[in-house]
Amino acid sequence: MFDLAIIGAGPAGMAAALTAADHGLRVVVIDEQGRAGGQIFRRPPETFTGSEFRPTAGYEWATALIRRFEADTRVVGRFGWSAIGILHEDAEPDTLCVAVNHPTRGTGMITARRLLIATGAYDLPVAFPGWTLPGVMAAGGVQTLVKAQKVAPAGEVVLAGAHPLLLLVADLLVGNGVPVREVAFAQSIPAPAEMLRALNAVPGHLRMLAETGTVLTRLLRRGVRVSPRTVVTAAHGTEHVSRVTLTRVDRRWQAKGAPRDVAASHLVVGYGFVASTELARQAGCELTFDSPRGGWVVAHDERLRTSVPGVSVAGEPAGVAGADASRAEGALAALALAADLGRPVPAAAFTEAERAVARAARFSTVVQRVFEPDREALGRLATQETTICRCEMVSRGNVDDFLASAPFVTDVNAVKLSCRTGMGPCQGRYCENTVAGVLAAARDQPIGLGGRFSAHLPVKPVPVGDLGALDTPLPEPGATPRDIN
Amino acid sequence: MTQDNTWRRTVNERAAAVTITVDGRPLRARAGETVATAMLAHGAAFDRDRTGARRAPLCNMGTCFECAATVDGRPLTRTCLVPAREDMAVQTQGRL
Repeated sequence: MFDLAIIGAGPAGMAAALTAADHGLRVVVIDEQGRAGGQIFRRPPETFTGSEFRPTAGYEWATALIRRFEADTRVVGRFGWSAIGILHEDAEPDTLCVAVNHPTRGTGMITARRLLIATGAYDLPVAFPGWTLPGVMAAGGVQTLVKAQKVAPAGEVVLAGAHPLLLLVADLLVGNGVPVREVAFAQSIPAPAEMLRALNAVPGHLRMLAETGTVLTRLLRRGVRVSPRTVVTAAHGTEHVSRVTLTRVDRRWQAKGAPRDVAASHLVVGYGFVASTELARQAGCELTFDSPRGGWVVAHDERLRTSVPGVSVAGEPAGVAGADASRAEGALAALALAADLGRPVPAAAFTEAERAVARAARFSTVVQRVFEPDREALGRLATQETTICRCEMVSRGNVDDFLASAPFVTDVNAVKLSCRTGMGPCQGRYCENTVAGVLAAARDQPIGLGGRFSAHLPVKPVPVGDLGALDTPLPEPGATPRDIN
Repeated sequence: MTQDNTWRRTVNERAAAVTITVDGRPLRARAGETVATAMLAHGAAFDRDRTGARRAPLCNMGTCFECAATVDGRPLTRTCLVPAREDMAVQTQGRL
């Protein structure tokens, strides 16, 4: 039995693991990827020689954090394992069980006295005509393929969205010799550009977004067309994208003016991020809707404890705020967990950790405000024929028809039960936001009022035969703490 | 199964070549590369949806399940999370 199980080996999980180990806790870290770093610090596989890891500007600390984490023999790593659910051990009230699954080894159970959910975030899915065509990909997906898997699109690329990550991906593509036809931004560019410059004045500022300003200038100098107040309204093609439709929008992201088509073999979409909260939902944690911070986020106290005893949260599921905030929250959450478990934690350590969290929050709050996606406007991009649930093939028309026939439905879970949106393998991760937008529009109510999809074990589907092994404890490694695939 | 390649490998600093099969056809990959990456680099088709329309990976991080396939007999395996290994058998048909 571990003192602490951490789900996620990104900046929050790594910082938490090291802090907890420093305070004498026995720690296990579970991550689906093969190596530590999370999505923001995704690295090439170890078998790729000569592919050195270089973190994004402003995150120079990442290299040292990863190195410390990987060199630390106190922390047990379970890489390549997915956490699929949290169970309470009735016989032992102070014990939590994490069900884990591996693509070749099946299912097992890891027990710990405390749990830290540091599951990160993923690209905000936005449904528009053609978004299911091959060649349409999330910005984070393209970024990790290029930087960690060393492959690049072989044709011309259009990028569209509203988040600065889009500029970093465009720059990465240009740097890899990929022809970038156009970058379409829903916002007007001067406002974010001015904000990026102003961020230099934020005390203890991070340079990531200042770097984004530099990248924007570089893209423009290289002749990349950057179009403000423009959204992608359709992708076209038979078996693969061949062109995309871009449309000018007003300040509220409402279409104005004639749409135009641009030839492209790839469309990269990046409107922001969704906090990955399915494990917290399944565990029974309270959530709150906070649009600028990633939609539904896990409610927590000032020391990152959730509403479920023994379960804490850090990083993006606590509110999407970037890698600095994640690292700071991971450290603070671990101190609180160590103190809860009776380890001595000096008050000065708490003060310092709380200061780091506050410092990161000052910056991220500005960023969240400027780059908040207009969910109502994005919800309008799906036409009646547009597939909004990719897994179960539910169109917007299906949902609208149901809502018209059932005028008292005001909850996304009711839509899920009746229309099957969110019942496929992705379990709602790629349609919840659109369903919420469609429901909100139909009922003329705020998006957060429609609630959220509930999550059940397994939060990521596994072969049904694997579930029989749910009560099998995963052997705890002894001499070799690393368990990479 | 194949079409014009829409992705290309950008560096050659990879480990030994391995051969996997996708729907029975051999496909060369590099050790450490994920199955999804190898498939993208060869223009291999992922599964089709119920209307017969093609799909392809969206997230490359294990959340969207668009890259899921039956790998060595295990259904719904996310190919973006699984490193290619010699003799690995991938079947794309049969999404849920």
